[in-house]
Amino acid sequence: MQEKWLLAGLSVALLLGTCSALYEDQIKKFDWRGVNVGALKQSRVDLNHFQPRILVSTHEGVVASLCVKTGELVWRQVLEQKPRGDIKLLQVSGFSDDSSETAAAPMGSNLGFDMLTVQGHAPALVRGWNTNMGALEWEWSIMPINTERAQDALWIYSKSVLYHVLPAWRSHLEVTAYFASSGHSTGSTSKVIAPWITQESCTLSGTFYVCTEGKQLISLDLVSKSGQVIRTSLETEPKGKTQALMGLNGVVIVDGKPISVNKDQSICGGLQSSSYAVGSFNYRKILAYADLSSGILRINALYLDNCAPAADLEQSLVFPEHFGTPSLNNFDCKQKRNGEGKNCMFLFSTTSESIVAVQQGRVRWSREEALANVIDSQFVDLPLADSEGTLENEMKGKAGDFTSFERDIASAFLRRITTQAVQIRSLFLHVIGLGPPPTDTQRAGLVRDSFGLHKMLVLLTRAGKIFGIDNVSGKHHWQLYLSNVIGFANDEQMRLIVQRSAKHFPLQPLCTILGKNAVNGNGVLYRFNPITGKVAEGGLVQLDYKIKQLSLLGETENDFVKGILLLDASNKVHVYPEHATPLADGMYLYTADVKSAELAGYFVKYAGGQLSSTHIWNARLGGHNSEQQIIGVAGKNPIEHVHSQGRVLGDRSVLYKYINPNLVAFVTQAPDSTHKSVLNLYLVDVVSGSVVFTMTHRKVRAPLSIVHSENWLAYSYFNEKLRRTEITTIELYEGKTQANSSVWSSLQAPPMPLVERQSYILPTIVEALRETITERGITNKHVLIGTASGSIVEMPWHLLDPRRPIASTTQGREEGAIPYIPELPLPTESHINYNQTVARLRNIYTAPSGLESTCLVVATGLDLFVTRVAPSKTFDLLKEDFDYILISIVLVALTSGSLIVKHLASRKLLKQAWK
Amino acid sequence: MSAKQNSKKFKWALDFTGSKNADIPSPLGYNPSALVNQSEVVRDQRLVIKKSWDLALGPLKNIPMNLFIMYMSGNSISIFPIMMVGMMLIRPIKAIFTTQVTSKMAEGAQGTGQRIVYFLGNLANVALALYKCHSMGLLPTHASDWLAFVQPQTRLEYYGGGVSFV
Repeated sequence: MQEKWLLAGLSVALLLGTCSALYEDQIKKFDWRGVNVGALKQSRVDLNHFQPRILVSTHEGVVASLCVKTGELVWRQVLEQKPRGDIKLLQVSGFSDDSSETAAAPMGSNLGFDMLTVQGHAPALVRGWNTNMGALEWEWSIMPINTERAQDALWIYSKSVLYHVLPAWRSHLEVTAYFASSGHSTGSTSKVIAPWITQESCTLSGTFYVCTEGKQLISLDLVSKSGQVIRTSLETEPKGKTQALMGLNGVVIVDGKPISVNKDQSICGGLQSSSYAVGSFNYRKILAYADLSSGILRINALYLDNCAPAADLEQSLVFPEHFGTPSLNNFDCKQKRNGEGKNCMFLFSTTSESIVAVQQGRVRWSREEALANVIDSQFVDLPLADSEGTLENEMKGKAGDFTSFERDIASAFLRRITTQAVQIRSLFLHVIGLGPPPTDTQRAGLVRDSFGLHKMLVLLTRAGKIFGIDNVSGKHHWQLYLSNVIGFANDEQMRLIVQRSAKHFPLQPLCTILGKNAVNGNGVLYRFNPITGKVAEGGLVQLDYKIKQLSLLGETENDFVKGILLLDASNKVHVYPEHATPLADGMYLYTADVKSAELAGYFVKYAGGQLSSTHIWNARLGGHNSEQQIIGVAGKNPIEHVHSQGRVLGDRSVLYKYINPNLVAFVTQAPDSTHKSVLNLYLVDVVSGSVVFTMTHRKVRAPLSIVHSENWLAYSYFNEKLRRTEITTIELYEGKTQANSSVWSSLQAPPMPLVERQSYILPTIVEALRETITERGITNKHVLIGTASGSIVEMPWHLLDPRRPIASTTQGREEGAIPYIPELPLPTESHINYNQTVARLRNIYTAPSGLESTCLVVATGLDLFVTRVAPSKTFDLLKEDFDYILISIVLVALTSGSLIVKHLASRKLLKQAWK
Repeated sequence: MSAKQNSKKFKWALDFTGSKNADIPSPLGYNPSALVNQSEVVRDQRLVIKKSWDLALGPLKNIPMNLFIMYMSGNSISIFPIMMVGMMLIRPIKAIFTTQVTSKMAEGAQGTGQRIVYFLGNLANVALALYKCHSMGLLPTHASDWLAFVQPQTRLEYYGGGVSFV
């Protein structure tokens, strides 16, 4: 019997899986993927290779080769997660600090390499890459004895030897040399006594270890046998940190001035720039530098041998504002006879994490690498077409006054006629080519479609760059860059809020970004139009207080803006915009302190034109010795609708759901002496502060992902005892009767809910969990599981259901629950991104579309994946292969047939009557 | 009864006399009292009443049969039980609506009583069919049948907040 049930369950699971799969011809029809590499760290432009390329290493731990002409990826290798994948050194063969000295190994020899990377510190991995196809050719590693100290380790490459420099601050440097391609040590570790070294003041420039001390630079040549200390005096005490100038041995940049500490390397004096790069032009070494002033980027260059300006390379161009401040990373010129500056390509990294290639005085291409760190996303409805807009207005007018209904019919009819006349006229004008020019948004095809599937995807990135992307085509419609605005403390990122949706036709939609001023830590608001990407209604607002928490209020009546309620560091409340202040009356706010696991609840009151907050409750989740720290907080999606209020049981009675909209899940974790680590889950009603439910997991730890919706909660964690990822699901029920069927009030506490719980094993590592959401909540809910391997799996809720019966009882069967099997299946058919893997998947965002069946999904990580899912299949859409022709032929045939038959029948009746 | 006979006679004969004098002497040897047996008339009437009682009690007599069919058809929802239940439900309802027509055939002293019995019998059949529907789960008698119409609770309090930003 048991086997039979298992089989039945498995087959159901398999069938469910097949439902959601994609047909082959649907690939890339509803989805697209953006592939990124992350902010540029080191790069090497190589135009003289038989296959011109740009080799890059990035802050995201990626090595890649870019196409010179378009900036597209030729290949990409995503290394391990940080700190293991943190790239310390990128060395391309043939490009050493002194290229003359480099014995570039011949192709195909075991000793040589095309490109070498050093990553991580414990262990440090040295890898040799084939630059044509990105294949890993060899690898060796070293494991340092002291892993803590190894974090600060530096690597230099010189003459086929790789030097590992390990500083012991305020004491000495340990230098070990290895053969680059084999990893064999060349000798013992040498200790260089240097008691002046500190983390803040020192840099490594080529083989020189340079530290600032007061008004002088103290440097050591780590490779030379003499170990001589070189002192170079400066005119003034350096303000900023010194930087190494890549490509020149022993040259550092101090406050924008290049200074050489190497007596063999001279440098031209009198230079002042924000960024420098070394390359070659006409077989001569060149120092190029670039500066941005009032929107114009100027690139200048000098011959290093005689300090004469290289006029061929000088150029200036208008640099778009959304890139932020550029910094010259690398450049190269084609080596031709009579080479001109036209053949040089300059590669810039910018503060907005873009990679910009400049050639011949213009931006050749750019890559938006800020998208590798998306922190918030919103789907915004597109504006209506003009004709539809007027119709919408008409509807609004009609709904407005019911009192003068009689008169209104006539006027509405008139209005309808005039609207349609106007529409016909505009259509006619459009046909003969005299119509008004289409607006920008219309020209870009940004008009709402009938199903609401076409939306503007607004993405906020960690670098402060905001993108408006078409969710269907993936086109970037606009970019904005917010400089000097950063995320909040406690790893809380900037917030992207839709203050006004596109539903209020003549008014434009409005989005707001909330962040922190990088300089003084006060709150910053930035308001913009999400369709056009233009600043709107005040733009950048600098607040004069620190933001502690925020909340969105209801819509105001006159301009339909949802106000933002802000709680400042001294627990005072503010509302922005101010005319929305009365709406804040009766709001509740809570804050959670991550470190001490303390919750505090506030009540906001508006009386006599004054807004005040009252501290109403406190909850300590820290445990008896206050060791617990909050590692996860999950509320419900505020736009969620719950269609079904209960669950039908086998005996046809109803188990009513406990749908508490004010319920928030908190997960705390603490080390434990007997159980290694203990995880606690608390469900807290944040209006009243009452703890509704708690649960403890022992020998369980982060990574944790939570999804909280309707009356259920699912969270995944790592089980240390059994070394696997598990997912626990909880459902809350009120019981067979509802205490109050009309209103929900957290203050008139309903009885404690019944709790159903169950745990399942997931054969993967979970990076993100998210529930699907639809307009009315009629469609089934699926849980989207983002895995560490970069796939997104759609898991139906009835597989995660905590009421799956363990014993095969008739009740469970009649309820439609599948018998409990601990392992959850992850069939390939339910991977919604099929083979479009999302590297370093971090988060999944969902939004309802205009169709009840369909939910829009965007998965972010290093890559970006946008698609749509239909958890209950597209029940409200005709199939794509619906045969319109057949249906219309059948309809026409039937109608005409019935008419003919009618005629014949009447003739026959007449004949019969005459008989 | 005699009038009836007369009318029957007229059906086949034409009275050409057109005489107003109907008091024609009876033929010889005709004894009217010998022809009409009083007890026979009474018996006929009893028969009619019995027949009409049969008609009136028909629905009630059907009940055991229906019970048996119900028992045999089971509670699973498939085409045959559904058809049976449908018939069981529709037939008595139809019969109730046509009571007037049916009762015309059985007019008599006990007409009202018969009608009431007939009506009650049909009602009993309807009740039986409904019970069958209920046991098959076709009646919206459970709370779960009205679940789709339950409105979500209105929310009184709204909250905002999260992990502290400072």
